[in-house]
Amino acid sequence: MGAYAMTMSLTEDQRDCYQEITNVAMGQAADRLARLLNVYVILPIPKVNMISASELHMALAGTTVSDNVSAVCQGFIGSGIAGEALLVFNDASFSDLAQLMNYKGPLDRHGELELLMDVSSVLIGACIHGIGEQIEVSFNQCHPVVLGQHCHVDDLVKSGNHQWSQTLAIEIHYEIEDVNISCDLLLLFTEDSVAKINQQIDYLLD
Amino acid sequence: MALPVLICDDSSFARKQMKRALPEGWDIDLTFAGNGLEGLDAIRQGKGEVVFLDLTMPEMDGYGVLEAIRKEDLPAMVIVVSGDIQPDAQERVKKLGAMAFIKKPIDVKKATEILTEFGILSEV
Repeated sequence: MGAYAMTMSLTEDQRDCYQEITNVAMGQAADRLARLLNVYVILPIPKVNMISASELHMALAGTTVSDNVSAVCQGFIGSGIAGEALLVFNDASFSDLAQLMNYKGPLDRHGELELLMDVSSVLIGACIHGIGEQIEVSFNQCHPVVLGQHCHVDDLVKSGNHQWSQTLAIEIHYEIEDVNISCDLLLLFTEDSVAKINQQIDYLLD
Repeated sequence: MALPVLICDDSSFARKQMKRALPEGWDIDLTFAGNGLEGLDAIRQGKGEVVFLDLTMPEMDGYGVLEAIRKEDLPAMVIVVSGDIQPDAQERVKKLGAMAFIKKPIDVKKATEILTEFGILSEV
């Protein structure tokens, strides 16, 4: 392992701190969703890793059902830290979601898109805000982009043009109790941001 | 005699934050546990008359610890400290016998407020 690879790995304390911060932020996001849908969101322990572009596919495929997904991504930036939030939704979730949201329209691609955008704005917005608040960075969010509907996870990854070698990834799996709704939120920071965000983490650990 | 206080959280960062939020000069005998099973063990040994308990943990989660405390009738006053702030989570832990709920990230004044409210902290 070269010196470069060494600088790109996380210490146990850093990983623990990222996990705890994410845990708090995802709890805030779950609270928003729980109040919106009147449900209980099951919260697992988030995964924090340095991953390479080729491992991104594994991170995605390992999280949810890999065929029949719909996905949204949304960039965020603040204080020299930038990244993308990627929300991958299991298509089987839409009928239950429509019911909980009291969505009366036809559940076609447009209807699903509306639900997808509503849920992603809640989950992504609250999560990014929650992390930012704890590391004292105010993130601005870019416009959300639909990556695909009714596609395979492979298609999501293929559509991206990865120009990075290794970066920080935070994976959160959300499930709603008693109904068939699940999604994965993946936060990917740009390679250039890792040093800066690690610095914020080290400041908290100090 | 110093009061046995237990901080049970799987994150070392969270344990440190919790310790920092405890009132200064409080005469306690502090123990740390990294998961629910370790925490329960410590409580059985009388090391947790007051317990600051996280909910999301490996091995045994906070709900499991609360259930065991109730089942074994252990003498522990539990304050849940969690990032899971959903209305349901707060209701569930209260039903399971938790004395209070503090949301993460912990506010330094909050622990003192609650300890005073329940008469655990009379004078510091």
